[in-house]
Amino acid sequence: MKKGIVVLCVLLLLGSVVFAQGQADKGKKLLKVGMVTDAGTIDDKSFNQGTWEGILKAQAEGLVEAKYLKPSGTTEADYLKEIGNLYDAGYKFIITPGFKFETTIFEAQDKYPDAKFVILDGEPHSADYSEFRIEPNVVGVYWAEHESGFLAGIAAALQMKKGSFGFIGGMEVPAVQKFNWGWQQGLKYANANLGTNIKMDSQNFLYQGTFDNIAAGQQLAATMYDRGVNVIFAAAGGVGVGAINEAKNRVTAGKDVWIVGVDVDQYPEGVLPSGKSIILTSAMKYLDRASYDMIVHELAGTFPGGEILHLDATNDGIGIPLENPNLSADVEAKVKEMYSKLKSGEIVVADSPDGGLFK
Amino acid sequence: MKVRIKSNAFLIAVSAVILGLIAGGLLMLAIGSNPFTGFYYLFRGGLMSMERIGNTIATAITLMLVGLSVAFAFKTGLFNIGASGQMLVGGLCATLVAHYVFLPRPLYLVVIITAAFLGGAAWGIIPGFLKAKFNVHEVVATIMMNWIAYWSVYYFVPIYLKAPSLETESRSIAISQTLRSPWLSKIFGGGYINVGIFVAIAAVFILKFILDKTTLGFELKAVGSNRFCAEYAGIKVNRNVIISMMIAGGLAGLAGMTYYTGYSRNIQIGVLPQMGFDGIAVALLGASNPIGVLFSAFFFGILQSGKGFMNAMTEIPPEIADTIIATIIYFTATSVLFKRFWDAVGRRSKAKALQNQEQADGEGVSHE
Repeated sequence: MKKGIVVLCVLLLLGSVVFAQGQADKGKKLLKVGMVTDAGTIDDKSFNQGTWEGILKAQAEGLVEAKYLKPSGTTEADYLKEIGNLYDAGYKFIITPGFKFETTIFEAQDKYPDAKFVILDGEPHSADYSEFRIEPNVVGVYWAEHESGFLAGIAAALQMKKGSFGFIGGMEVPAVQKFNWGWQQGLKYANANLGTNIKMDSQNFLYQGTFDNIAAGQQLAATMYDRGVNVIFAAAGGVGVGAINEAKNRVTAGKDVWIVGVDVDQYPEGVLPSGKSIILTSAMKYLDRASYDMIVHELAGTFPGGEILHLDATNDGIGIPLENPNLSADVEAKVKEMYSKLKSGEIVVADSPDGGLFK
Repeated sequence: MKVRIKSNAFLIAVSAVILGLIAGGLLMLAIGSNPFTGFYYLFRGGLMSMERIGNTIATAITLMLVGLSVAFAFKTGLFNIGASGQMLVGGLCATLVAHYVFLPRPLYLVVIITAAFLGGAAWGIIPGFLKAKFNVHEVVATIMMNWIAYWSVYYFVPIYLKAPSLETESRSIAISQTLRSPWLSKIFGGGYINVGIFVAIAAVFILKFILDKTTLGFELKAVGSNRFCAEYAGIKVNRNVIISMMIAGGLAGLAGMTYYTGYSRNIQIGVLPQMGFDGIAVALLGASNPIGVLFSAFFFGILQSGKGFMNAMTEIPPEIADTIIATIIYFTATSVLFKRFWDAVGRRSKAKALQNQEQADGEGVSHE
């Protein structure tokens, strides 16, 4: 046994000597952009995918070399390890999607001062929230989800004219709550000013509690449709996938129900064999645009390090998809008008449940 | 004789590892990558800097304790699939201690270790009791206990340990209350290495001692070898089953402590720790021998923590590392084949030696 220990020690030593040598620098031409995925896969039709598509666009244009890593867990240690892996492999421009990376980036910004980080949907802070600090090598990006939800609410209300609408959220976190509040304000605005008659009932505005429980999403959607709801806005990741499945089943069975998608244009997710989609429209935040823009800024030497960006209507960070096959031309025109009113500040959407909204 | 059996177990493990690596290499070839670069970066990722070695050890600590838990139950003929649940409960107890108990460091460590051990042991003793009293199969019972732990944590954490804004994990523990220690971090340049390493290594030798040198160990092994024979010999089988599951659970509880208060700083809801199942592989490769578990945990630790870097440097997906682990398990599980192979090799060389000096070795061969 002693022999075994000695052999192992020697092997370990040899290993660390051999492997400790610095890695030869390969002719560095392209910016190497890395991404660490949040919980879920790279093709989650939502947050991870939206971010990655922006990076892929930059790669397709020959601007960068891209790589994503999927951490083995969702702890800060797992995230930091993958950031370390990217950094050691030469990927020193790292994009992380999701508020779960806030504490990770807080540590990473000091640990890797020569790397640059973009955190989407958050800003770095310490684990106990006692310290919020953003270094010049980090950019935090927030979206005005309430404005996006507002526009989707207007669009859906105008298209349907009357009916009962609902909302399914994932976890009750700010980004999802703001979608909900904006959605309700959009419906109310349409009822008050645009002549629609949309009913809202508090029992149809719910948070499921996770982002990955597909079965629960399907069940929630089924319950709501049974109660007579026509349109559900699903801001819930995988839970939303369940809701989309339920809507597909019902439409196939001849019912008239819809889903409003979230984050990215989810129209393709709702397509039935008949070629029609059950996605009325989507409340988008342009994740791909944000990751792409940050890369372009970095290449141009104008990386807005140390800043926290707020993307909303004024800088075209949110909106509904450019093409909405399920919306009539009139509705799309009206939504455009609303969008310009948001832009000019004529309409202000609150990012809080004030004014009698369901929480 | 004894040495020969041990070297057999060692040979079998090494053969399994080598064949597993070869299978992994073939997979890399199949997807058009160079297996040598792949393995180079895989091992580099685990070992290229002190910090990475520290992180590899941090991963190995948890694997080692889970491996010991599974191995110990194996020795008594029990299959502990419940290490994940025991980890969760042990980790939860440790997290509670870390949040609410403030004591001088040595005393604090004693308290947190005791709490984690008791938590895991409580989760292990229930299936043990069910097995002993009602002959409920421990595989079923421990799997059920996993889900009870999963949902208990799901309920408990948001109510009593909620983070300020995150619903999905507990508040982070202050660094000074974790198992990480400044001097270890200094040696390894940061990372997640923690004093759990001493707990794990101590556990290895304590278990070795219990199994080899005590009456309890003898009884446990006897129950594992043949339950009925042990009973006939006057050994209290039921009592030993309960004790075995209790100790196995406690060890997994310690693993949970090293994971949730050493490697990580919070406990997450809705996640059954994968390491609880990886531990089965560690125990298998280590031939359920505490010393064997020590080495196999380090080996798996390297694979686990190196795979991310391999993925970053090459086009090889990290799943390849998982596949290698799975293949190794297959080869270990079919260890009977290797045993026959090496025995045949041994016999042939013996036979040769016999031919050379015919008279001397006659007795040794007849013992074989």
